[in-house]
Amino acid sequence: MSAPTIKLPAPLFARLSPHPFLLRNLTSAADPSRPATRTNGRGTQETRPLHAKASSLSHAHGSSLVRLGDTTVLCGVRGEVLPVERVPLFRPVDRGGVGLGRGELRDYDLLVPNIELATGSAPQFLPGVPPTALAQTLSTRVYSLLHSTGMVGVEDLRVWSKPAGGGEDTEMEGAGEGQEEEEGVKEEDRVVAYWVLYIDLLFVSFDGNPFDAAWAAVVAALRNTSLPVARWDPEREMVVCSRTEKRQLNVKGLPVACTAAVFEEKELGEVGTGVPEGRHWLLLDPDRLEETLCREAITMVVDCSDGETRIKSIEKQGGTAIGRELVRGFATIAEKRWKEVQGAMK
Amino acid sequence: MADRRRINGPAGATIPPVFDDVSTPKLKSPKTRSRPPNTTRKMYLKTGVTPSASGSAYLEIETSATPGVSGLKLSCSVHGPRSLPRSAPFSPHIVLSTHVKYAPFATKQRRGYLRDPSERDLGIHLEAALRGAIIADRWPKSGVDIIISIVEGDQDRETSLLQGDEVWDMMNALGGCITVAAAALADAGIDCVDTVAGGVAALVQDAGEDSIPTVVVDPIPSEHEKILAACCIAYLPTRDEVTNLWFRGDLPTSDIDLYTSLVEKGIQASKNANRVLVGCLAETIE
Repeated sequence: MSAPTIKLPAPLFARLSPHPFLLRNLTSAADPSRPATRTNGRGTQETRPLHAKASSLSHAHGSSLVRLGDTTVLCGVRGEVLPVERVPLFRPVDRGGVGLGRGELRDYDLLVPNIELATGSAPQFLPGVPPTALAQTLSTRVYSLLHSTGMVGVEDLRVWSKPAGGGEDTEMEGAGEGQEEEEGVKEEDRVVAYWVLYIDLLFVSFDGNPFDAAWAAVVAALRNTSLPVARWDPEREMVVCSRTEKRQLNVKGLPVACTAAVFEEKELGEVGTGVPEGRHWLLLDPDRLEETLCREAITMVVDCSDGETRIKSIEKQGGTAIGRELVRGFATIAEKRWKEVQGAMK
Repeated sequence: MADRRRINGPAGATIPPVFDDVSTPKLKSPKTRSRPPNTTRKMYLKTGVTPSASGSAYLEIETSATPGVSGLKLSCSVHGPRSLPRSAPFSPHIVLSTHVKYAPFATKQRRGYLRDPSERDLGIHLEAALRGAIIADRWPKSGVDIIISIVEGDQDRETSLLQGDEVWDMMNALGGCITVAAAALADAGIDCVDTVAGGVAALVQDAGEDSIPTVVVDPIPSEHEKILAACCIAYLPTRDEVTNLWFRGDLPTSDIDLYTSLVEKGIQASKNANRVLVGCLAETIE
């Protein structure tokens, strides 16, 4: 018995039964030589081009606008000063001492990323409600990745009681003066405050793959950030910043996130009902429709900026389709993505 | 108690950077208006920035000539009309809910994520302005959400907070909000009697305390010595109706004409904004 033939326009079909719609799109290539295409017209391994624009805001110290297809994110980085007397359990640092490994960034919470989805960026994200689970997860993932990649060094965020005279900027003063400074430094040069970077992300438009877009926006904004030169004013006993001098934030590396979702032949509801495992497809850079249909997703963050590929993080949730081989193969895909993003960030 | 659903940062409060004035040359340029008193700034309006919403629009008002002063940047998305939740009482009209929020990086001071009273105030004024334009009884039992993010406010970075310019900034923000929301509503295909647009006019005193105040349109606080009063008007041009009027400041009671001329100038500014709005919508149709 042949199925009754009803002709439905594509958008209606997608709305009524999204899973068969995507499945039919992926399999319907009549001749096997043609690669499978998704509902959005892309191939399975095809990403949307990324557009990044830096310094689009005037009140932030660094900012970026990233577009990934129909996903648009705006990121603003703003520095604020945290005096050390307000830091509970503060451990003094001396200039020669290596700050690395002491975990100042994490212990004093100097990086504060927050993601706001509830801007009407998609019908499910309406304002007036507390941050959704997705917004909270995204913020936490960006937070932990910021710390684990070590993109921002704590040296840039320290404010010293004396202007930097000894180590790096010797050319600023004459040689004799530098010596004098050197003497004084020994006794009382200390960290008086830290810069806290508030990294705020605003989704203007949401069409899937929020993490890749948000992370690219964070990286672009941090690379664009320059903080005013701050010094300690002993008379007013506070940190004052220069109006004219600015210093570019040193950002190490260029980590790029690459996400793919796994689309399974059987529908989500059929999990555990004894249906044998069907075929599955790895969909790179999933859009909103695809994300709702996929249970399993993998995100890999790679950095190839020093010649060789370094994997900064791998996250995988849900499902069992991605095995060891797929993860290994995914590194190559992520590498390719890194090159694209690096081109866009220039 | 801090909101544990967000990342709040260090336990101790942080201080926004304090700048020294010693080492800088005189930055303050004399406050002069860069345009004739009856000219509004140029604006850029575009619809369809959020494809996943039913309607959306983006508005940017040109930066003034002074460096360090940002122009207004607004993004608006409209969701709906959609059915009201079951718990909602019956409504024979469409239920408008407006939401205006400054982005954390929109102003000189970092804004929090919770809405403050001034943002709620803007939302209420916006709702009043739009309610007069929408043909509300075409959609009984349904609701529409209008969400505006102020990406960047109209503020001068050089002036100190103490001058209390925020009140006037809010006027400009509301004017922009009305225009951008009207564009987004039209983009969403919600029937309106006319396109509503916002305009701002102000009474300013430019030359000292005792000078005669003048009426200007589209005022920027950083370009004027002192703003005495301002009003923001939402106006429907073909019907010649005002849907919302927001007046702030004090006027000398001796001169009633001053009030009328202020409103007239506001209407003039609104007509200018409307021309841009109609042009933008016509472009979208083509």
